[in-house]
Amino acid sequence: MSKVFGSGNTACAMAVKDADVDFVAAYPITPQTAVAEKIAAYIAQGIMDANYLPVESEHSAASAIAAASAVGARVFTATASQGLLYMHEILHYAAGGRLPLVMANVNRAVNMPWCLYADHQDAVSQRDTGWIQLFAASNQEIYDSILLAFKVAEEVQIPVMINYDGFLVSHSMMPFETLDENKIKEYLPPYDPSWRLHPQWGGTFGNVTFSEQYVPYRESLTRDVKRAGELIIRCAREFEELTGRWHGGYFDVYRPEDASFFLLSMGSMGKEMELAVDLLRQEGIPAAGLRLRVFCPFPKEELSALLPTGTNLLVFDRNLVYGSAAGVLLQESRAALYDRRDEIRIAGISVGLGGEDLPASLLADKAREMIQEVKK
Amino acid sequence: MQEIRIHGRGGQGVVTLGELLAKSAIKMGKEAQTLPFFGVERRGAAVKAAVRIDDTPIKVRSQSYKPDYLVLLHENLLEIALAGGKADHAEIIANAGQPLPVEDKQWIVSATDIAIKNGQVVGGEPFVNVPVLGAICRVLGIPFEVLEETLGEQWTGAKLTPNIATAREAYDTVREVEGGPQHG
Repeated sequence: MSKVFGSGNTACAMAVKDADVDFVAAYPITPQTAVAEKIAAYIAQGIMDANYLPVESEHSAASAIAAASAVGARVFTATASQGLLYMHEILHYAAGGRLPLVMANVNRAVNMPWCLYADHQDAVSQRDTGWIQLFAASNQEIYDSILLAFKVAEEVQIPVMINYDGFLVSHSMMPFETLDENKIKEYLPPYDPSWRLHPQWGGTFGNVTFSEQYVPYRESLTRDVKRAGELIIRCAREFEELTGRWHGGYFDVYRPEDASFFLLSMGSMGKEMELAVDLLRQEGIPAAGLRLRVFCPFPKEELSALLPTGTNLLVFDRNLVYGSAAGVLLQESRAALYDRRDEIRIAGISVGLGGEDLPASLLADKAREMIQEVKK
Repeated sequence: MQEIRIHGRGGQGVVTLGELLAKSAIKMGKEAQTLPFFGVERRGAAVKAAVRIDDTPIKVRSQSYKPDYLVLLHENLLEIALAGGKADHAEIIANAGQPLPVEDKQWIVSATDIAIKNGQVVGGEPFVNVPVLGAICRVLGIPFEVLEETLGEQWTGAKLTPNIATAREAYDTVREVEGGPQHG
């Protein structure tokens, strides 16, 4: 174990190095660029034993790692914003093909207009691709989540995306600890695929199907995405036993005792939200923070279980569902709590688009506005 | 929590300055975080970075509006820096030859002269970030030995020597001054 003071992108690249990845293909894009650069440097310096393919686009990056995964390699890529959107087609391919890809997405606003700053529109636009999506709010959580992502992806054979906010986390330097090689090996043994393409064994992959074959594939994917939620928690617990590090389960819950107002958000906003909760508590407002760590599969039952009867859910979305004033988390929350619509009041807003800065004082102001709304 | 906001221009080493300051604070047993802001990501454009130092892990994930210290890599960044806000009690630490025309408590250091004198100039650009770092450490009460250790992890050999020299000179010569005359 070594202590590092570095950026979120450094934490990401170091975790990929430590995870014994075989193959990386990436195309640099702000604010992800340092991830692509650092991994290339590790390989060039000989401190990481992997093949690196500098591709001409994100579509190619995703295609290349999907192909490498199909021949049995442990693979990684990283992107952001337009890069993720350009991968969209291959995201469906990878999840449908049950390929355990791991990708870091450094959350950034989508064009147009052109904008480089933190926003979750890129990630939530990929909600229905079948990928598991995690959100991290600190550099330690990024490092630990990358290791967890490989373990989860390879066990359930579903690709995993780790999200963290552009600049606010990707370029923010914080202290974090890496993990010793022997402990990593214990937690994440070398990848041993249950099947793979190999000329010696023949076989094909991705054949044409009719609905008789297609439907069972889709049914198994949705069943296993759901199952992956429990697996993520189990793997997080195993990691805690090994390292003592715990970032939360589906949610990182802050000051839930006697709370009436639960402030739901994800990413860096969720960490700053703890300071907003402290501000509200100082005024006697019984607030609590819920930082969502697992966006896909959305933890419907677990959200409901956190909310006692008569409480209120205030949802802060860093994305926008067009035609409304809020985002995907509000929609998911309303769907999750529909059966309890008479006992839990819900309000939601969209904030922080395009990197709009979200200091705790502003989050507390927004919470007070929503409290007035739910009290009506 | 102590919050320091550093103002410079793209290419001047604002990010490195923040990193080295935070690392020095960590050596003192503190928690620290840096949060740079690059603006439009162009060389020469005004950039800034926040450094936060505290006794407990830092939860802030937003920009700095009320810093306790305002740091200027060049005195001509004063207006931009003030427009970004500061705490009422904030102190200014500036690379400047003369007192700044504001009433705030202020410290000045001739970082440009120190860099030139020690040959720390590349492409016509004096490296002022390390001498300014020396000045900040002096004002914040970080012992020079701690800063020297941080610099020794960043550079070695022929690159390290002039950096220690400029940091040392700034550490020793930064001085508190009365605010200069206000511009009409």
